[in-house]
Amino acid sequence: MDFDLSSDQQLLMTSFESLLEAYRALPVGSHGYTLYSKELQGELAASGFLDVAAAEGFGPLEAALLAEEAATSPYGAELAASALIGPLLDGAEGPIAVAWGLGEPVRYLPQARTVCIIQGDEVLVASPETGAIREVDTVGAYPMGALEKAPSNAATLDAKTSAAVRCRALIAIAAEAAGLMRAALEHAVQYVKDRQQFGQSLGAFQAIQHRLAENAQIVRAARSLAFRAAWRDDECSAASACLYAQNAMRKLIHDCHQFSGAMGLTLEFPLHLWTYRLKLLQGEAGGRAGQAALVASNLWGAS
Amino acid sequence: MEFGWTPEQKALRQKVAAFLDAHLPEDWESIASQSPGSPAVTEFSKQFCPKLAEAGLLASHWPEEFGGAGASAWDHFIVGEMLWEAGEPRGPQYYNVNWIGPAIMQYGTAEQQEQHLGRMLKGDVIWCQGFSEPSAGSDLAALRTRAEREGESYVVNGQKIWTSYARLAEFCFLLARTGAGKKEISVFLIPMDRKGITVRPIDSVVGDGDLHEVFLDDVEVLESERLGQEGLGWEVVRYALNFERVGIPRYALALRTLNRTVAELQGSASFGEGAQIAAASAHSACEAARILVYEAVGQRMKSSPDTGVASIARLSVVRAENQVADFVLDWTPQLFVGDEQPMVATHHKRAISAGIAGGAAEIQLNLIARNVLGLGA
Ligand SMILES: Cc1cc2nc3c(=O)[nH]c(=O)nc-3n(C[C@H](O)[C@H](O)[C@H](O)COP(=O)(O)OP(=O)(O)OC[C@H]3O[C@@H](n4cnc5c(N)ncnc54)[C@H](O)[C@@H]3O)c2cc1C
Repeated sequence: MDFDLSSDQQLLMTSFESLLEAYRALPVGSHGYTLYSKELQGELAASGFLDVAAAEGFGPLEAALLAEEAATSPYGAELAASALIGPLLDGAEGPIAVAWGLGEPVRYLPQARTVCIIQGDEVLVASPETGAIREVDTVGAYPMGALEKAPSNAATLDAKTSAAVRCRALIAIAAEAAGLMRAALEHAVQYVKDRQQFGQSLGAFQAIQHRLAENAQIVRAARSLAFRAAWRDDECSAASACLYAQNAMRKLIHDCHQFSGAMGLTLEFPLHLWTYRLKLLQGEAGGRAGQAALVASNLWGAS
Repeated sequence: MEFGWTPEQKALRQKVAAFLDAHLPEDWESIASQSPGSPAVTEFSKQFCPKLAEAGLLASHWPEEFGGAGASAWDHFIVGEMLWEAGEPRGPQYYNVNWIGPAIMQYGTAEQQEQHLGRMLKGDVIWCQGFSEPSAGSDLAALRTRAEREGESYVVNGQKIWTSYARLAEFCFLLARTGAGKKEISVFLIPMDRKGITVRPIDSVVGDGDLHEVFLDDVEVLESERLGQEGLGWEVVRYALNFERVGIPRYALALRTLNRTVAELQGSASFGEGAQIAAASAHSACEAARILVYEAVGQRMKSSPDTGVASIARLSVVRAENQVADFVLDWTPQLFVGDEQPMVATHHKRAISAGIAGGAAEIQLNLIARNVLGLGA
């Protein structure tokens, strides 16, 4: 058990952070609901970071470390599913989108070169054909699209690979959610430090301090559970980490908006980029009931 | 970063599990339900701890020069986690090995070490912790109990409260004021049978033996019973409690209680979707507490400065503990009310004080706000 990054992990994160550096600055003025960055997506593909889990000495934990970090940028680009699931699919091209059903809005589907369609225990893999995707106009801060039917080139994965893909897809959600929560909280904390009311900064009020401190616990727990799930790479840990995040995020989203006042509801203020991504993750993959069923069947043999 | 146990740590877990199988009697769960400070558990601990010592599991992490085996503090943590999960058969004696012993090793004189450490290693001595007072709870620095110097000794007057185990304890790790300044406080190691000490139990919902008042009226304490220099009290306390940074691994008993409750629901075919969501959520909260506690333990083991993870871990433990207690009340109220599953009562009695004993959860929130988030006036 070691909670510090190894020197290789440190090197990885340092170079990843320098790539992200250019995508940290908050956009000026109104930036719309979705702040997708084609440039960031391109850099991720070109830099090889999407393949980190296949690299010598690395695995899903390193992919999850990157996913958590990437999610803190206000700019959206798909990394989590591509880095976690990509290595399981021989030669699949990223970005990868995960569809938890046909006809439903799917994150990053309009950008995806590969889509994993999860249908019960079975997973189909396909390259979305042009014209087959319906773009979905959304207030959620991810670009979304929907597939009405499976593409003609869809192939069904064998049972073992299907199970592995489903597990990694949950780890991807958990890691992404952890990073989004961290960024949203950091932003709200900065706001209450800066904002003056009653002759002092809002952060001086204990009522606000305590609620933000409770969220700091949530962020730390969600991160550590996501990373441990990635290290273990098993369905129960993955579903449990995902469930923890899906349970906890509602409080965090609420509190971060609450303490940002009306400013936090504007499209000039970046908070929604993290909270409205989180809102889309809250019910993904069957939501709490879906994760709980997996945990209960793994731990207690429940059906 | 990695989350695995070494083969040695796995073997240790097996050893402890086998030890518990062999040495916990059949009616252990109903004994344990009387709480760690009860006469029954205290008596039991005096049989159990010597056997634990013989198996090398009581204080293996103590340095060899003080009678330990110099094992890693991780080993001691693993043992502590498994014993708490089992209902804490060491009773009050976990104090001795966790922090009172180590404080005496660090600050004690050779005579004090000679007098106390051997007894602790033998496993038949009970200590209590005399910190809190009627007017000094969260604000411990407001304590009023005074130790006035008179030649080679001190005369102590004052009152302690909430003192766990006091009635059956042989010694007290006592904090008293030795000067007028707010921080002029010293630690004394005093025998509880000393003239002038009166102990009065306080009835409570946490169980018998866990809460007492201790009155100190003109108690004579020798200079040789002071631990560390006069006025060094805070430093000693800080040092000692650093070993308790993360508090009790409460998630372990909480998880066992949760598993037991789920089995009960399954037995009556009533583990449906609602219960599954609640159970899996409580489970994930316990695992969150576990992983954060491990992180805090790991940090202490590396002597890294606390980045706030210890406070976060404590808060996480309180949340998990309460979530499991609520799961029982929501889904199996009959287990809470009845006496068929004494372990459920054991858990509840302990869970109820999780956010208070050892320092209020709100104090941890203050620390997180200040040290982790950088908020504050
Ligand atoms: C089961 C049990 C066993 C114990 N055993 C021992 C023992 O062996 N030895 C010993 O010395 N003590 C013991 N204690 C006492 C324990 O350390 C104190 O209860 C604890 O420090 C809180 O003090 P208090 O109860 O006086 O609460 P108070 O200080 O009166 O506080 C009451 C509540 O107010 C809130 N609060 C207090 N300060 C703040 C603040 N600054 N900001 C926000 N909220 C605040 C918290 O919610 C707190 O719970 C035990 C307590 C329990 C419950």
